[in-house]
This record gives sequence, structure tokens and C-alpha cells, in this order.
Amino acid sequence: MIGPVLALFGKRLLAAIPILFVVSALVFAVLRVLPVDPAAMSMPPNATKAEIEAKRTEMGLDRPLPEQYAIWLGQTLRGDLGTSIHFRRGVAGLIGESLPATIELAALSMAIAAALGFAGGLLLFHLRGSWRGEAADLGSTVLMSTPDFLFGLMFILAFGVAWPILPFTGRLAASFARPMHTGFLLLDTLIEGRLDMFADALAHMILPATALGLAFSVPIMRVLRSSLYEVDHADYIRQARLRGVPEGRILLRHTLKNAVLPTLTLMGVQFGFLFGGTLLIEVIYSYPGLGNLMVDAVRNADLPIIQAVALAYAVVVLVINMVVDALYLVLNPRLRAA
Amino acid sequence: MSSALLSAKGLTVETGLAHGQRLKVLSDVSFDLEPGKVLGLVGESGAGKSMIGRTIAQLLPPGFAVSAGSLSFAGEDLVAMEEGRRRRLLGREIAFIPQEPLSALNPVSTVGPQFGEHLARIGVAAAERRDRIRTMLEAVHLPRAAEIIDHYPHQLSGGMCQRVLIAMAFASRPRLVIADEPTTALDVTIQARIVGLMAEMRDAYQAAVVFITHDLRLAAQICDDILVLYAGRPVEKGPARSLLGAPLHPYARCLQLAIPSLSAPERQLYALAGEMPGLARLSALEGCRFAPRCPSVGDICRKSEPHLAAVAPGREAACYRVEMTSGITSTTEAPAEAKPEERKTLLAVDGLAKRYRTRQGLFGHRDFAAVNGVSFEVAEDEFVGIVGESGSGKSTIAKLVVGLERASSGRIELSGLDIARPSPEARRKRIDTVQMVFQDPQSALNPRRRVASIVTQVLEATAPQIGAAERLARGRELLAEVGLSGELSGRYPSQLSGGQKQRVNIARALCATPKLLLADEIVSGLDVSVQAQLIALLRRLRRELSFSMLFISHDLAVVRNLCDRVLVMWRGEIVESGRTAQVFAAPQHAYTKSLLAAVPPDDPASVWAPFEAPAT
Amino acid sequence: MRKVAALRSGRVIVGLAIVAVVLACALFAPLIAPHDPEEQNLISTLLPPAWSAAGDPTYLLGTDSLGRDVLSRLLYGARVAMTVAMLASLGAMLAGATLAHIGGYFGGKVDWLIGRAVDVWMSFPPVVLSLVLMTGLGAGVRSVILAIVLVDWTRFCRVLRAEVLVTTRQDYVAAARLVGFSHWRTLTREILPATLPLLITLVSIEMGIAVIVEAVLSFVGMSVGANQSAWGQMIADARQSIYESAWNLILPMLAIFVTVLGFNLLGDGLRRTLDPRLMQTRDV
Repeated sequence: MIGPVLALFGKRLLAAIPILFVVSALVFAVLRVLPVDPAAMSMPPNATKAEIEAKRTEMGLDRPLPEQYAIWLGQTLRGDLGTSIHFRRGVAGLIGESLPATIELAALSMAIAAALGFAGGLLLFHLRGSWRGEAADLGSTVLMSTPDFLFGLMFILAFGVAWPILPFTGRLAASFARPMHTGFLLLDTLIEGRLDMFADALAHMILPATALGLAFSVPIMRVLRSSLYEVDHADYIRQARLRGVPEGRILLRHTLKNAVLPTLTLMGVQFGFLFGGTLLIEVIYSYPGLGNLMVDAVRNADLPIIQAVALAYAVVVLVINMVVDALYLVLNPRLRAA
Repeated sequence: MSSALLSAKGLTVETGLAHGQRLKVLSDVSFDLEPGKVLGLVGESGAGKSMIGRTIAQLLPPGFAVSAGSLSFAGEDLVAMEEGRRRRLLGREIAFIPQEPLSALNPVSTVGPQFGEHLARIGVAAAERRDRIRTMLEAVHLPRAAEIIDHYPHQLSGGMCQRVLIAMAFASRPRLVIADEPTTALDVTIQARIVGLMAEMRDAYQAAVVFITHDLRLAAQICDDILVLYAGRPVEKGPARSLLGAPLHPYARCLQLAIPSLSAPERQLYALAGEMPGLARLSALEGCRFAPRCPSVGDICRKSEPHLAAVAPGREAACYRVEMTSGITSTTEAPAEAKPEERKTLLAVDGLAKRYRTRQGLFGHRDFAAVNGVSFEVAEDEFVGIVGESGSGKSTIAKLVVGLERASSGRIELSGLDIARPSPEARRKRIDTVQMVFQDPQSALNPRRRVASIVTQVLEATAPQIGAAERLARGRELLAEVGLSGELSGRYPSQLSGGQKQRVNIARALCATPKLLLADEIVSGLDVSVQAQLIALLRRLRRELSFSMLFISHDLAVVRNLCDRVLVMWRGEIVESGRTAQVFAAPQHAYTKSLLAAVPPDDPASVWAPFEAPAT
Repeated sequence: MRKVAALRSGRVIVGLAIVAVVLACALFAPLIAPHDPEEQNLISTLLPPAWSAAGDPTYLLGTDSLGRDVLSRLLYGARVAMTVAMLASLGAMLAGATLAHIGGYFGGKVDWLIGRAVDVWMSFPPVVLSLVLMTGLGAGVRSVILAIVLVDWTRFCRVLRAEVLVTTRQDYVAAARLVGFSHWRTLTREILPATLPLLITLVSIEMGIAVIVEAVLSFVGMSVGANQSAWGQMIADARQSIYESAWNLILPMLAIFVTVLGFNLLGDGLRRTLDPRLMQTRDV
């Protein structure tokens, strides 16, 4: 089993490289077709044309496009992601601060989405055919019409304003001094042995993570339900019933194991979207992650950050897809036997 | 009859139709099955034979319920049985063998855990399970049983899966085994071996078997008694061999005459008109359900329904006019006039090959030859049959000739022009000369087009300026030619029966007036009586319009009945060819011999020994 | 035959009704809006809706932080939402469906290329890609529509391609080719009628997605200008005064939710009634 999985990772890595090239080239090209001039934007309003031109040369914006790309690529591969126009700091450092926060939030959200998705899917399947099942189906359609940021805002209104039991700004209460080890707050607080900080960090993450998790659990629920339904009608399930196997065992040992596969494929796609969904949730919750960094950069036309962050998002999504594919390979014997 | 293991008395299953009507899908079925005996339930599709199996398991579809009569197992009422008790019976005392073996095993679990779960249920101690599995797998003649335990179902062939399922079924030493069309999905040589295996198991464990099938000849070989069903009613019951030898009910007789034979002198198959009424039409019928199609029908038949009654010692039939049955015959056909050998060659295939490349690992590849250097000719006005089992390459040849696949090498000449190399002339020549009738009527007819539109589809491409009225007229003409009523023009394919769909298929191919017709398994999967109708249709069409046909089939008897010459294919190559009568009467190649030996003989009295060669 | 069944589906009716209402609001906003949505009234800022104690009946749903009438802003916001929904989903559908049919039908290298393009595109979270595109295209509703088309064509392409593949494998497509149909005729007469139901469903759902994307983009200030009203923008504004007037936040949220719900119900209902698997006669 190890062999095929490693082979898969190898193949995916090889395939990922051209994808990243194309992605970065696309981002680069799009950003150079700007109607706004980043040089002008980074200068005070009364700057003269000559000064703006000088700035353009300084930023390298007067060179031909492919040359700009090659320069940028070379720098990136060396780990130099450029300097932020707006913050006047190294981009790599900015990303290093924000990325762990986003990953932490996304990971918790994915766990919630998976748990809710599975529980909900099983419940929908169990209730099928009855009026409760119809109501639940309708309910899932209603839930699906609610985008993640609406959930985020609703939770703020409900649990932050109307009934203030949870915080909805930032990662940690201002009174705490943030521990700096891995960048993953939950880990860092545990490393320092500060359970009170841990609880506070977790409390800050509950609302945004649940909003994200809930929003992305609904498609998972629905796919699991329909997979379970389809598998339930398969010949081998019927045969198991004819052998007298009890229904509960059939559901858990046979039906679920088979229905998980297509659900897993969907989960991979959904988790990719979820990671992108962290962007807006971070803005709403003033959570200092990649999302806020990106939005600020877009507002300021801060090209180096936009490029680097876009690439960062693409890399994470590719990793997520690789992991999900590997998991699928492990669970689906038909793909393994060469 | 207290010694009977499984006993049905007047069993009736009903369902509710729209408008509150009740419809009997099974009516008044009675039989007694003794331990160690095999009861055959024979009928065409829709006759209700599977319903009995479902009733035993109480897995009736939603809306269906037993409304009258009783069904009891070892004295216990199966219908009224409490759920827990029934579940305890299933898998232990009563076992089922399914129709589609490849999909009857959990695809994400190896054989071992599935079998082990079953053994755990029947009380085998954990330590003994692996040994027990191996013993059972060896008992069903699976080689390398220890390896198979760790295999997934998709790594096994259909025949091997069925053996595993048979092993699982008999592992609990059941008293009753229900086999629902257990060999229909398997190749004919495998079918013979599986049937032999089941007989062996039956002897070893003294189990009673209910053998459900549509194949009357097969049933006569393996069953002790047969119950023939038609439209949900039992029409004849009796000992297997004497029933097949001399059926008393007109339907059974027509069925017997509709089955093509491999050895008897060539005769026309009895083409019973019409089809078995579907559920919806059943309720409208009064009197005998077979009356609309019965050759010996009389007034009394239309007025009141006959019931099973003893007609001869040990024989029962549900008919008022059994004495007329022996008079039903089909004509022996005058031997075809020896056509002059000067017929022009229409299709000449030379060294045709088709190779598929599969990737292996990161860089390797493996070539697989579906067709490996095949050469043959088809003359004008000649019917040539291609027979072989799955994987022989016969369907690939059809696709190559018709242009759906591109040949890897070789020539395909149609009246002199090589159409193997794709070019506009090749495509034009092909469209003008060759047409194909596809196997699966479900996917061969566009569900969004009406029948009239499908049948005249050629005209859309070749004569787009044709008016709507003219096109409709041509459509009706074509439908009439294939024996369908013009009123079907406005229907959608989903409103037609299987036989009707195939006729529409043929009509569409004929609209282009082809010189060569390719028929890929077009009668497989159809009921015997419908199959006979289509064969009769093809013969008539051959007389009226003249065309050649390449007829691909796995059913040797059908090919014998229809084709002048036959090509026998095995693993991509032609192993034997020649005039049909000759090849089947005196086969030369070992494979041809094994194919012929695997078909159950016509005469039930003759002995048929499906040999136990190594399992595949 | 099938269309009649579609009209009888509860989901379709309700969905269609909701969409119709929102569309009417959008079309007739200039006629039914009680105030100019940009008219500021700095005396009566952050008024609650008329039914609460401190409300003012001239401002039925209250006012925002600059004294602008919330109801009027909602109605005009519907114009933006519906314009984007219709144009963007149409564009994405045309692009995605065309490529899906070409790729799925012809297969081979063309299909491989399209498949790879879709893979690359979809390795980007859509929100991030839209932001990047908006940076390049500049702010404004036109850019929003273009950005949605450029991001979401992949969704159409991927889903439809699977359906096109299944349909192309059907024997009746091969039969049409054998009978002399050209590729174009086969695509339009045999394949397209089969994929049309799915297409329609996807368009309906895409409209809901477009509304959401527009809301997100106007939330971060990249969609309409400051002198136009859009729902996302209203949400962004209302966040600043969340403690004073929660209604300013709730109402545009509700508007977005109801509109998207309408499109989803419509799409879901259409999918259920037009699903070919449910169309075949059920034999026993």
C-alpha cells in the first residue's frame, strides 16, 4: 500500500509544478494589465510625473512582461518574495505571520464540516421517505442558500451582540501576550502550558470556524445521503440482507464504507473552496490571517503581496487535493491493485 | 403433505395500481418441494417467477403484498412470520444465489472478511473461520483458495464470484436454496460448469433447490419438477423431462417450439405473436391470460380463467383445450436452394487487428489485442454468424467494420474500396452500404425522439428538404415492414416493450437501404418468444429486400437457425469457420467442441454432463 | 409532458415566485422606491424600522449611518444583484458549456487540454481568483460580471463535461453518426437535448452564486462605486454600527439569503423534475 501512495504523491508533485507555473504566470499577467498604476498609488497625491516614472523604474514596471516574470520567478524560488509596497516589509515575513493563523482556522473548520457533514448525511439517509426526511431535505436546501459569510455575520449578531458569550474579533484577547513558537496559536499556548490562553484562543475561533464549517458541511451532507441511497440499492447490499445480516451492521460495515468514496471526492473539492472561504470570514471577524492580508493588498494595489498570497492559496489547495486523493487511493481497492 | 419443506398453496401477490385498482402479479401458485429435490420455476420476463423468491425473503417491492394463499417453510408460515425469526432463517436455513455475481459481493472488502462475517453469523468460532472458508472454496473447485480469500471481487471473474457465492450459500448447510437466474449473466461454458457445481452441492448437502430461469432446456436438465408461469399464473406443472418432452399447455408447447435447436433438422421457429401482457394490461384481461396469443383459443378461453388441473398422471395444466396442444407445430423449412457460388464479394476483411495499449506503472505499457489478424469474406445476400464468448473480440470486429473504432492494421474492403483507413470517401461508402443494429435497445434509441423521427433519421442527413408529411409516410412504411403498427409512430421509446424497441432499431437501419447489416447481439436479453419473432422477421426481410448480414451472437442455436456460414472466435482469432450446418454437426477445433458441448441438449432424455474442468 | 410536471413541483413554483418578486423589485425600483437611495439625511441617521418605537414611517425600514433610506437602497441593490446574476451566469454558461461539449464529444487532445485548463483554474479558490481578477480589471459592476464569467465557467465545464461524456457513449449517438450525421448535427440534435436539463439547472444555481460573489465583492468595496447601492456594500457599512442598529445589517443579509434561496429552490426543483433517470417507466 505504501508503494502506490508514494507513487501517487510523486506523480501529483510532478503535475503540480506546471500548474503552479501556469497559475503564477496567470496571476502575474492579470496584475500587469491594471487600469491603476501601482507606482502612482504608492506615491503621495502631489507627486510629479517624473517622480512617478522614477518609482516605476524602481519597481521594475518598465521592463517587458516576460522579463518581469522571470525576475519575479527567480526571486520567489530563492525564497525572496519581494517587499510590500504598502507595509515596507518583506512579503515572506508577512505571509509567515498570517499563514499559520489561516491554516489553523481552516483546519478546525474542516473538522467541523466533516463531522457535521457525516452526521447530517447519515441523519438525512435515516429519515428518508418520511415527512421528517422531506422537511430535512428542504432544510438542507435552505442551509445551502446561506453563504459562509452570512453565517459568519449571523453568529456575530446572535452570539456576539445579542447574547454576548463569545468573542468575534481577532485571535486572542488583548490582555494576553501572544506566545511565538510555531505560529499555530493552539499549539503554542499548549507548549507554554497556559490552558487559560488556550481556552481563549479556542473561544475566538469557535464562531468563525463554525460558520465556515456549517456552510461547507451541507454539500457533504447531501452527497453522502445520495451516495448512501445509491449504495443501499446495490446488489451486494441486497445479498447481505438475504444472508440475514442486521440492518445496523449493513449500514455501518457495508453501505457507509462504499458511500464514503464519492463523498470523499466531494470533500476534497469542498475543502479547497473552504480554504478560500477563510478570506472573507477573516475580514468579518478581523482575524489576522492571509485573508485580511490579501484584502488590504488588493485595496492598496500592493502587487508583491497579491502575487505571493495568491500563490500561497494555490499551493495549500493543491496540497489539500493531494492528501484527499491519497486517502481515496487508500480506501478504494479498485485503484490500488495495479 | 407434511414432508414438504417449502409449500405454497394458492399464493397470490397483489399490488395497488393508480385509481385504487388492485392487480394480481402472482395468482394462485401452489407447489410442494421435498428436501433434496429441485423445483424449476420457468417463465419469460414479467411472468412473476422472481416474485416468488422475493416473497420467500419477504423483500417485496414497496406496494406489493401477499393477499391470499400461504407459503410455508418446514411447517412455519413465511408470510406471517415475525421479523426476527425470518432474519434468523435467512442465511442459515434458507440461502440465496443471485443473478449478477460480479455485483453481489462488497467491492471494498476482500472475500475473507465477507465470508467470515457470514460464518460468524452462523456460529463458527473465530479460530476456525479461515480454515472453514478455505474448505468451502475448495469444495466449489476454486484453485488457489488461500489466495482468493485475500482478493477483491473485481479481481475475480464472473464465474469465480458465483462459485464464492455458492460456497457462502451452502456454508450453513441450508435446507432450502433459492437460485434466481444464477447463470444468466455468465458465458455458456461457465454456465454449464456452475450448473454442474450446484447439482453436486445439492447432492452433498441434500438441500432443496428452487431454480428460477427462463431457459426451459436448462431447467429440464437440472430440475426434478417444473412449474411454468405465464403472466403471474401457473400454466403447467409436472416432472421436468416429460414436461419438456411433451408439453401439454399451448404456451409451454409454443415456448418449446420457439427455442432454436443445435441438432434437430432445421425448422422455422414458432413465432408466437404479441408479447406477454405487462402489469397495466393484465387487469383488463378476463378469461385466460394467454388467450390473445393462443393458437388453440376458443370462446370459453376468453370468458373464464382456467386453473391448474390434473390432465395426465402427475401432469397438471391450466387449459380448457389441452387436447389440441400436440397439434401445434412449426413447419420444417425447405432447405435453402443452393445459391450459385458466383455471388460477388461484398465485404472482404484481411489481417484485421485491433490493439489496445494500457499503461503499466510509470513508463511501461502493455499491448492487448482484442482482434488479432482476422480474415474473412461476406458475399452479397449472405448471412454470416460470428460466435464466441465474452472477450472473443466479436463485438470489436463489428465496431471496426462500421467505423466506430479504427483498425490497428489490416484491410476492410467494401465492394473494392478499403475503408479501414479513414477518409471522406470511406465514410461516404460506409454510410451508403453498411448499417448497424445495436444490442441494447435502451441506449440505442434517443429517449427524446419519437419513434417516427428515429426510424427516418437517415433522411435528416441525406434528404433534409423532405417534407414532414412525406417523412411521416416513409416512417409508417418502415414500421409496417418490421411488423409494427403505424400508431406507434408518435410514441417515445420508453413507451415501447423490448421487442418493439428492437424492431424500431432494425427499421432505422433499413431506412438507409444498406447492403450489409451488422447485428450485434440483437436478440440476446430478449424473451424466447420475442427472439423467435425477430428471427422470423429477419428471415422475411431477407427474402423481400436482399441484403447481407453479419450476425454476432453468443447463442449458437440462434446462429444455426439464421446464418449460412459461421465464424467461431476465441481470444481475438477465428478458430473455425465454414457452413453452419457442417461446423455444428462436425466441429474440428477443440474450442468449438467445448462450446457445443456446453449447450443443454434439446432432448431432455439425453444425458448432459457439464464437465468439471478447472474453474474460471 | 415533462414541462408540465416541472410546473407542478412545489420547489419550482416557490423558487420561481421568489425570483419573480426580486426581479420585479429590480425592474421597478425607480418607480416603487420611496426615496432616492443616495439622498443623505444627516439628521435622521441610524433610524430603526418603522414598526419599532423610535421609527419613522417615511423611512419604512429605517436609515443607515448617512441617513439614506434602507428600503430604497435594498430595491436599487436588487438591480445590481439581478443584473450581475443574469449576465454573469449567461456568460459563464456559454463559455463553460461550449468547452464542455467540444471536449466531451471530441475527446482526445482537445478534451485533455480543456481538462487541464479546468484543473489549473480550479486549483485556485474562487474568492481569491475573483479578487486577483478584480485587481487587474479595476473596480465596477462590469468587472464583477467579467470576473464571475472567468472564474465560474469551470464549474459549468466540469459538471457538463461528465454529462456529455455519458451521453456520447450512448449507442444512439453512434447510430446518428452511422446514419450520416455531421458532428455539428449530432451535437445539436442528439447531445444537446440530453444535456439541456442539467444546463438549465446549473444556470439557475449559478445565478445564486453570482449574487453571492457580487455581495462579497461589494463588501470589500470593489464592486459598485460609493454613489450606488449594493447589498454587500450595505453590509460593510452596517458592520461599523452593529451595536446601534442591527437591522441595517440584518435586512441586506435577508435580501441576499432570500434571493439565493429562490434560485436554489428553482434549480433544485428543476433538477428533480427533469432528471432523466426518473423519467423512464418503472417496470416491475
